[in-house]
Amino acid sequence: MSDKPKFVYVIYIASTPEKVFAALTDPDQTEQYWFGFRVGANGKVGSPRTVRNSSGVDFPNGVILESDPPRRLSYTWPPHTDQTKHERPSRATFDIDMIKGQVRLTIVHDDFDVGSRVFEGISQGWPAVLSSLKSFLETGRVSDPGWCEDSDKQPAVQDDRVRA
Amino acid sequence: MSEAGSSFVYVTYIRTTPERLWQALIEPEFTRQFWVDTVQDCDWKVGSSWKLMIPDGRIGDSGEVLEIEPHRRLVLSWQNQFMTEMHAEGASRMTYLLEPQGEMVKLTVTHQINRPVSKLIEAVSTGWPLILSSLKSLLETGASLEATRRWPEGK
Repeated sequence: MSDKPKFVYVIYIASTPEKVFAALTDPDQTEQYWFGFRVGANGKVGSPRTVRNSSGVDFPNGVILESDPPRRLSYTWPPHTDQTKHERPSRATFDIDMIKGQVRLTIVHDDFDVGSRVFEGISQGWPAVLSSLKSFLETGRVSDPGWCEDSDKQPAVQDDRVRA
Repeated sequence: MSEAGSSFVYVTYIRTTPERLWQALIEPEFTRQFWVDTVQDCDWKVGSSWKLMIPDGRIGDSGEVLEIEPHRRLVLSWQNQFMTEMHAEGASRMTYLLEPQGEMVKLTVTHQINRPVSKLIEAVSTGWPLILSSLKSLLETGASLEATRRWPEGK
């Protein structure tokens, strides 16, 4: 077993795989539930994954590694803060399937070096983003972005109490 | 995670109040809807026995209340009672932590055991995401997820 950091999160959503895939890849939708981020990931393999934050700042592009709508999506995740810019890009992979009438969305975020700061950030950020995605798809309402207080507005809320 | 133990941690954000979330985690009329038709037999005081009751009358898991701070924190000891291999692992420890954050409550569930490899932790790692997703749906939409409304057949 590798010691390299790997984040895994599973969430079940009363929706369809098509709607979940669209919500993860269409910037007009991500803007509504993902801290105001416009995340574009609906291109083909090899095309860029784009991110523009709520202040209109573009982050470095990732690359779409796999895209099999509405089942699977994988892209690289370059660091975007001064504290993390020395790190190499990590990788986020989404698997979408139907289990007993609801969507199971599994995210695996890996390919980090040991001690990665980005890993610490995304481990806090994904539960918040994916909780908000679920609310968005099930209720049309999203979580209050006020609980993302990080100055860079990256999907990271520092809170040591939830460390495993 | 300590070297000798294994653990599972799950965080979810739910649009509700700590009071309503606490009630949903404890009271049978709620747990039946999102926790595969189970109810808990407990009087919710430190030292009280705790049992998770399967609909056919078997005890699923049992233990005792180690710490309780209503609307905020609950710690249970937790031993499986219906699967031989998991029962043999002895008691685990399960913690709910409820923290208000704006319009949401951040719920952190931590389940740990003092064994490097654990069938119980493996099982709850699959179970908690479904149960807690359904709890969030129930509190936000009024309906739990269909897969969690009944005890799984044959289990």
